Amino acid sequence: MSYPDLSIEIAGLHLRNPVIPASGCFGFGREYARFYPLNQLGAVAVKATTLKPRMGNPTPRVTEVSGGMLNAIGLANPGVDYVVRYELPWLANQDVPIIVNVAGETEPEYVEVTKKICASGLASAIELNVSCPNVAAGGITFGVEPEVLQDLVAAVREVCTIPLFVKLSPNVTDIRKIALAAQAGGADGLTLINTLIGMQIDIYRRRPVLANRTGGLSGPAIKPVAVRMVYEAAQVVDIPIIGMGGIYSGEDAVELIMAGASAVMVGTANFTNPFACPQIICELEDFMRKQGIRNLEEIRGCIR
Amino acid sequence: MLLRVRGISEIAPEIWQITIGGEFPYETIQPGQFLMIRVGSGKEHVLRRPISIAAVTKESMTIILRVVGQGTKWLSERCIGDSLDVLGPLGRGFPRPEKDARVLIIGGGLGVPPLYFLGEALQAETDNVDIVLGFRTKEHCILTGEFSRLGHLVITTDDGSLGINGNVIDAVVSLRNSGRRWDYVYSCGPQGMLSRVKQHFSSQDVKGYVSLEEHMACGVGACHGCACPSEDHSVTRRICVSGPVFAWDEVSL
Repeated sequence: MSYPDLSIEIAGLHLRNPVIPASGCFGFGREYARFYPLNQLGAVAVKATTLKPRMGNPTPRVTEVSGGMLNAIGLANPGVDYVVRYELPWLANQDVPIIVNVAGETEPEYVEVTKKICASGLASAIELNVSCPNVAAGGITFGVEPEVLQDLVAAVREVCTIPLFVKLSPNVTDIRKIALAAQAGGADGLTLINTLIGMQIDIYRRRPVLANRTGGLSGPAIKPVAVRMVYEAAQVVDIPIIGMGGIYSGEDAVELIMAGASAVMVGTANFTNPFACPQIICELEDFMRKQGIRNLEEIRGCIR
Repeated sequence: MLLRVRGISEIAPEIWQITIGGEFPYETIQPGQFLMIRVGSGKEHVLRRPISIAAVTKESMTIILRVVGQGTKWLSERCIGDSLDVLGPLGRGFPRPEKDARVLIIGGGLGVPPLYFLGEALQAETDNVDIVLGFRTKEHCILTGEFSRLGHLVITTDDGSLGINGNVIDAVVSLRNSGRRWDYVYSCGPQGMLSRVKQHFSSQDVKGYVSLEEHMACGVGACHGCACPSEDHSVTRRICVSGPVFAWDEVSL
């Protein structure tokens, strides 16, 4: 029996498989290279990068809830100059495509960071973060208004010399309108979903657990929302989608692919099990073999 | 790594001691390092629990935890022979003093266990060890018998039910008044206690180290969940990889 082909073509990128650790859950790659060679992965999405270094929010920044977790890290990162100089060169030597998540507070900031990343020649793609729910100024404001988003994507598209993905927030009334706006702005692909805004209260101390009060909900609890939103977006756009939200197994990945995703990102599962990504790749291959699926195009978006 | 529970007992109300065995690089563990232990095997609990190491032998290690929520409750309900998914040893431990240095160990509540591992390791290096441990009440005291073998032990309780009626600083002041001096101060406990300890020694010529605790997600430096600002608030440090032990002038307490 022949081995199934896990490789995919997405927005002009060739990936050896569709499994990508999600931004914010994998640092800049180094932290997980102690567990397995990163070239087993389809690509690596690195932590959100901003123009200036950011300290992030006060702690506690993370807490567990049933079937998931809340985070309010607050885009902590060392700034694009440091990232380009000290983080990406190491990762670029690991034989795995790099997707750099770009965040900002203003359109010029997004443009500036994108220029610097592209100029470094070290990244394979940009993921525009217009959906961080944890910082007051910026990010989310771009992700909920279709017109504002379209303008931002168009401005970044103009300076972006590599494939441009736009990461969408689920905290919107109609994901289809936002997805179409990103496409109209010139996005080469979409990634969704970012976290859902949640809150947990310490009932003994009578205060929110997170210092930021609210945080982004991720993990298995949000997978049905992700499946629904990837499905809805896939119905209306022509550009490829990278799906994410609570993927813990090869079967979970298959579900998002059937909903319309070309590739998947794995976030919270890395924390539960540092070997989550390689295991998901094995399970996906196993599923394909048992089901007689030769390549992922056979099942992508098979739910109509 | 999948390890097995070799022993489990409640050593104080809601405080459990669990000994874990199985293949693990025990000989590499430094006092102050910690483990990330998975809770359950499904998707209900997505975050591992960071737990310090209280003692190590050639074939096992001991952790001590307080039941504070569902995760620690699950851990307290393990039986001998049950397997535990353990990641570690993680983080940076306590730097060691030079030979025969005068050492003061200050522990508060559940900050005490990693200091026991440290105190045991220090036996090979110095005989000059003073230990101050603070607890809420006599009932909450743990490891006092064990620590009494490691050096000169002073216990404080908030209600005076055992040892000095007061806090650890009161005990440190009284030790100083009796002529004791130290080259190294190692402490672990509630943030407020660590802050007071740092403040107390701020004008004195001692090397001080604190072990910090924080909510963690990954435990390996990827998520930036467990950040602590540097002393001058110019950068944040990740407690899981740059700590959990810091020189006290490295972090803002």
